[in-house]
Amino acid sequence: MTVALTESTGCYTALSKETGEELKLAMQRLWLTGQVTPFGARLLVEHTFESAERRPVEVVYGFMLPQDAALRSFRVTGEGFEVSSDLQPVDKAVSAYEEGIDMGSLSVLARQYADGMMNLTVGNLRPGEPVRVILEIVAGVERHDDGFRFRFPFTLAPAYHRQARVVSMPGAGEMELPPEEFGDLILPTWKKDSSNLHEVGFDVEVIGGQGLTTVSSPSHGIMAAGEGSERRVGMAVEADVPNRDLVLEAKAADPWQIAWASEGTISALLGSSRFGEPDEDSPRRVVFVIDRSGSMHGKPFEQALKAVEVGIAALRPDDHFSIVAFDNEIEALSKRLLEANDRNRQVARDFLAGLHTCGGTELAMGVRAGAKALGRDGGDLLLLTDGQVFGTAKILKTARKAKARIHALGIGSASQDRFLAQLGRETGGQSRFLTSRERVDMALLDLFAGISPAVATDVEVRLDGKTLTTADVHVGRPLLVTGEGSGPELEIGWAEGGFALPVVEAPKRLGKTLRLLDGAAKITEVESRISGDPVGEDAGVLESLSREYGLASRVMALVAVVKREADKPGELPMTKVVPVGMPQDVEMDAYFDQGVYGLGSAESVGSALGQGEILGALIESRRQAIDASPARATREDEPFYRKVLGLGRRPDEDFDVPTVAWEDVLMEDASRLEADGGMPGDSLADRIAASLDLLERLTDHGSTRTKGAFRHHVRRLLDFLGEADLDEEQRNRLEELEARVERVFHLP
Amino acid sequence: MAERDTEMKSEQREWSLAELAEEVGLPARTVRFYIGRGLMPGPEKAGRGASYGQEHLERLQEIQRLQANGLTLAEISMRGEEVESASLPEPEAWWTYPIADGVEVRVRADQAPWRLRQIRRALAGLGQKLDKERDSSAGSGGRQGGKR
Repeated sequence: MTVALTESTGCYTALSKETGEELKLAMQRLWLTGQVTPFGARLLVEHTFESAERRPVEVVYGFMLPQDAALRSFRVTGEGFEVSSDLQPVDKAVSAYEEGIDMGSLSVLARQYADGMMNLTVGNLRPGEPVRVILEIVAGVERHDDGFRFRFPFTLAPAYHRQARVVSMPGAGEMELPPEEFGDLILPTWKKDSSNLHEVGFDVEVIGGQGLTTVSSPSHGIMAAGEGSERRVGMAVEADVPNRDLVLEAKAADPWQIAWASEGTISALLGSSRFGEPDEDSPRRVVFVIDRSGSMHGKPFEQALKAVEVGIAALRPDDHFSIVAFDNEIEALSKRLLEANDRNRQVARDFLAGLHTCGGTELAMGVRAGAKALGRDGGDLLLLTDGQVFGTAKILKTARKAKARIHALGIGSASQDRFLAQLGRETGGQSRFLTSRERVDMALLDLFAGISPAVATDVEVRLDGKTLTTADVHVGRPLLVTGEGSGPELEIGWAEGGFALPVVEAPKRLGKTLRLLDGAAKITEVESRISGDPVGEDAGVLESLSREYGLASRVMALVAVVKREADKPGELPMTKVVPVGMPQDVEMDAYFDQGVYGLGSAESVGSALGQGEILGALIESRRQAIDASPARATREDEPFYRKVLGLGRRPDEDFDVPTVAWEDVLMEDASRLEADGGMPGDSLADRIAASLDLLERLTDHGSTRTKGAFRHHVRRLLDFLGEADLDEEQRNRLEELEARVERVFHLP
Repeated sequence: MAERDTEMKSEQREWSLAELAEEVGLPARTVRFYIGRGLMPGPEKAGRGASYGQEHLERLQEIQRLQANGLTLAEISMRGEEVESASLPEPEAWWTYPIADGVEVRVRADQAPWRLRQIRRALAGLGQKLDKERDSSAGSGGRQGGKR
């Protein structure tokens, strides 16, 4: 074996002396099992190691914890041994690990760093020795009124940090973070081609607690078995590559209404619709904060711009708004909020049309600029970002100071959901996460539609006479209650109503899961306030929480040392870092400038200078392809027609634009609402006809006064048509549509 | 007393990995990581009682100094090789952009990708502007000629 700089990656790596080829990976497989519930997940993550080296190795695997997650323990198994981890203060755990290394023993350390990043280090792995490390992790989920979304990181995404140093190599990249903030964290090498990396897979149970209609995955092909409230979900293929998170989406038949008891812990989930309908007609003050950093480039950004346009169209004349776009610079529509009149809507459309992706992700700057535009009266920030930033504690600090509710929509195949969930929760807003292959526009519009005052305030939840929590309930966000105690039912009361909810035993196999989830959420919350190393009071609080719940944190790590026969003290293991795949749909260039090794930067500029010629050839080539086979044109071509061919909002007469999805058509039309709530037109008759037409199509696709992403548009259209002078036929049609809206509304 | 301890330590010619790591204020795992990456050689003596000498200490200090000056580990490892192979001054990478006829701009290559993209976009704009101004002055020159 020898060490050399490989041509393929530019990294130092182990090569076989005989063949000159790169030696096999030390980590072979990562397999996820466990239970996922609406309260959170308890997971076992099995890492299989086997080194083909001729001397012992020390393998470092880096990953990021999902939202509200913490490590509880690990087991190390191999030939003739099975050892469990100890939870110890970090310095003691590191000492124990180092002593084990020095003695030639198999040593394993799981240590957490800032931003929920982890290093799992397995030292003194002997040649050919199979070792499995099974981590037990508890993790939160993203809860909706009638479902939840679970996300597990199979890769670690690179992210923006002002002080990060990056190294670009052909097909790979490395990143180093400032040690004063991230200590001795070792990040992996990111590889563009993840096909030769370790394999990943999963086999999990989804336990709904009440009837589930579907369990699906926007990230992986899955097979789901079972019915009622439970499903067993596995991967449709034998194994996959580590280039994206696993995302599972469970839909419940009805809004959540469950209360579980388990080993002295009570957890309950109550859909917001249980508390009444929101007042969505009160004036809004909203700033759309758009991340236009280089990593947002592509379809998500285009869809986001369209969704903002549609959101602005739904504003009433007494609403106020602005737009802030940020990378490492700020571009704002206005310094203060604007009235949502026709003129300002057009100014906003023009502003959006001029935005493009570039630069880094200075998220705190975007939040500050948005909050400044809201001014002293406050309001809501609707943040659209991939959340790919390191050093999140500082951003959260800025967000808390901003005194605005932040609603975050995270996009990405390996999104920072841990951070964005906190951003939403700690400012009283909501958060949603999408993979890069899902529709951003519909989700953003739905998030926007949910910006309204609380459905119910000061909701008190009591158990056996003792108050567990008092909280406000917002539309779309179920109320989560966690506490200790016992009793047959929860009593829920607020100014306008109240009801009782029976408490049932949680499934036995969940064990202490509810309590552990509560602990992990508390630890995550404390850690989100710490930038740099935890010291003083912060460290004390964290250590106390870690000990109380038996969970690892920034100050408590997990360690195990396995003494084997024939351990050789003093032998230096060769340190190897497990590479990961670049997240799917994220260009290497977004973080690692591949131009340096690829075409060359100068050529890139040359391309930009000769854009006209290249564009001409591209358009002609696409035209020819579609002329030859119209069926080849897909929805993905739509932005191309609009942006590249400059066809504007409507298909050009002399160009046959292919069929697009109904969401695209509704988005396009809904974005054209005028300040009075009606569609544009040359005459009032035209406007009425167009408005009736759009209203019919919106209701056809399930939107009503109070339901669906387009509910604000439905109400605006009904307001306009209610005031307009309709003829008899139009009046009849409107009445029919109103009845349809009401009928849908009254469905259980 | 403390000064004398430091002096004694720096005069010491052999360290264990733990002692060496403590001497430079780095975790032992980081030192092993550097060795694994080829940034510095392994111990002088292997097995029980493995030891590290003055050259290891100096190399670690050099790595720390270079990192403080903004170099990445990959750059440091390449630099080490180049220095060993030839006593040439450290090369600097620059990109040359021919942005318009007769105009070239040089940009340091070791900047953050997002900064390079900003610069390239600005240069593209400048190039287009220069081309446009050249074309328009050529066009107006033609018209003036016509008037004459």
